[in-house]
Amino acid sequence: MMDSTNQHTVRAYGDELNQITADVARMGGLAEAQIADAIESVSRRDAELAQQVIARDARLDELQREIERKAIRLIALRQPVATDLRRTVAAMKIATDLERTGDLARSVAKRGLSLSDLEPLAPLTRSIERMGKLVAKRMKAVLDAYVTSEIAGALDVWSHDDDVDEHYNALFRELLTYMMADPRTITSCAHLLFMAKNLERIGDHATNIAEMIHYEITGDELDTARPRQGADDTPVSEKEPS
Amino acid sequence: MPETSLGHRASSRWKAALAAFRNWSPEAVSPPVLPLVDAEAGDFRAALESLPDPVLIVEGGAVGNLSARRILFANAAARGLLKVEGRGEPLVAALRDPQALDAVDAAIYGEIAGETTYEPAGAQDRFWRISVTPLTAAGLGRKMAVVRFRDETDSQRIERMRADFLANASHELKTPLASLQGFIETLKGHARDDERARDRFLDIMAAQTARMSRLIADLLALSRIELSEHISPAGRADVARATTDVMDALAPLLAEHDSRVELVERPTDATVVGDRDQIIQVIQNLTENAVRYSGRGSRVGIHILGDLSLAEAQAPSRSDSARLALLTPDREGGVRYVLIRVVDQGEGLARENLPRLTERFYRVEGQKSGASPGTGLGLSIVKHIVNRHRGGLIVESQKGHGTTFSVYFPVTERRGVTEPG
Ligand SMILES: Nc1ncnc2c1ncn2[C@@H]1O[C@H](COP(=O)(O)OP(=O)(O)OP(=O)(O)O)[C@@H](O)[C@H]1O
Ligand SMILES: [Mg+2]
Repeated sequence: MMDSTNQHTVRAYGDELNQITADVARMGGLAEAQIADAIESVSRRDAELAQQVIARDARLDELQREIERKAIRLIALRQPVATDLRRTVAAMKIATDLERTGDLARSVAKRGLSLSDLEPLAPLTRSIERMGKLVAKRMKAVLDAYVTSEIAGALDVWSHDDDVDEHYNALFRELLTYMMADPRTITSCAHLLFMAKNLERIGDHATNIAEMIHYEITGDELDTARPRQGADDTPVSEKEPS
Repeated sequence: MPETSLGHRASSRWKAALAAFRNWSPEAVSPPVLPLVDAEAGDFRAALESLPDPVLIVEGGAVGNLSARRILFANAAARGLLKVEGRGEPLVAALRDPQALDAVDAAIYGEIAGETTYEPAGAQDRFWRISVTPLTAAGLGRKMAVVRFRDETDSQRIERMRADFLANASHELKTPLASLQGFIETLKGHARDDERARDRFLDIMAAQTARMSRLIADLLALSRIELSEHISPAGRADVARATTDVMDALAPLLAEHDSRVELVERPTDATVVGDRDQIIQVIQNLTENAVRYSGRGSRVGIHILGDLSLAEAQAPSRSDSARLALLTPDREGGVRYVLIRVVDQGEGLARENLPRLTERFYRVEGQKSGASPGTGLGLSIVKHIVNRHRGGLIVESQKGHGTTFSVYFPVTERRGVTEPG
């Protein structure tokens, strides 16, 4: 197949780019598993699973650094232009979103650990589970769109981000009602509230990824002035219990 | 059991396929697509192609280069499950589950066979067991692995259904049984000679036992639907006819509430892929709710809209209210939908109540529900039926301004499996 050195160089370069894309897909798979396991650890009150989620997060950090290194190397040595440049930049940015997603999943698992010592609040845990499943579905859909370069799939995720908000707001109200009715639940409710916030932010990262896919394929940015990721995007993970 | 014989047939076919592959000549290969030059390779491919279980053949490449794990072959079932062609795509583009990827690496580079589970997030909960076997035919000269998926959704569901049913039934029956016991004791004790109290108590007890048997019946129905939720219905059903049937069946309830249900609009063709009885159940539960939670003398409108795109089916129908998708089908290109909208002018729902509507036993607090309160299973049943049909469910409501439930069903069978490549 390769009969000239020129073609060989082109192929090696394409290979490098394919490798980066494959690494991002793998990272996406890891992030998805982290979300699913974090939620399961909460709904089953499974401390062991929560510990696993916390321990596995380092792998995501590692992969993100690796992708960044490869991408920077590619940009420096091959000086990609147009589509290839966008593909490289998108990979790097998506890896960052996935790394944050991992942090948020770890934070959910940590709070789950703290919750497992407290009295269970079944209906609220169900609400968290429901919200978590929704967010996991969005992440899957957007990563499917990434690996298949399907712009319609990305747009679908991007345009349906208000459902997560609706769940978050309902849960927020529910939690308030609980806390006011029975102050002994305040600690549990606070953990659940931060969990919900973490899940909401995972949903935001799915939206960001959708925007990156759109940019990668079309070169145009989606309307970034969406009312998402507003001023209240406090770094919840900083406040998580250690 | 028929499953066993099918499984047996499948596995012997599988062995034959593997044997054919072992003898198959590697000289004829120009990577990454498996050519079909000799008869034996053709046999092998045809045998794998028709296996009911999804099967992939994956090739290695450099260990450090993930994009070099390529899918050389995907049978029809695998193409349907993973949406791949099996023409040399990178494995991660189809399967990115970390445990599955690790198992593939162990098989290709460590020549260790392994098993793992695979539960893709989607509208339907599916449970697959993956077994990965190294393919180390002598002289083949390439590192490969066979990835086989076995569908264990059924056994997983049965397990969960049994647990849920027991937990729900014992929990929900505890209170009414205790109260029945209380009435019986009172009747045996000081109410023994009080005829008026006795009649009243017996009426309450009758209502309570009726409610308990309804609860059991609904729970059983829900369990049955959940068990088959991953199996798409095969028949076709006319939604407009189902609606008129429901309206007839609800005549007594309507008379009791002095209410009216009106079929406001319908398309010329309202046929969908579906189970007629289940679709009737969906429309009935929604209409019954609309009547029950709207007070006396109310009017309920049913709108049926045909031939909609997914985006059109999901579009808001009113601007003034909160809106939540209670169920969204997995996206699939080009599918058209028929939508049924049940609009009431009742008291409406507060925004924060929307996410829990389809939860088992959930009932909005402080709502007047008339003489016989429901069991809180109606919408849960609706959701599971609609999910089985690969449809969607949306609620729109505002306190004081009524509630609109919209459900949509696909008009055509889902595409599923692609043609062999
Ligand atoms: N159209 C509606 N308007 C206002 N509230 C509704 C409406 N439909 C459902 N609800 C609320 O949602 C709750 C759940 O409804 P669902 O149909 O699941 O159970 P149910 O009607 O209480 O009992 P069941 O249908 O099993 O007899 C109801 O109890 C009611 O509070
Ligand atoms: Mg009902």
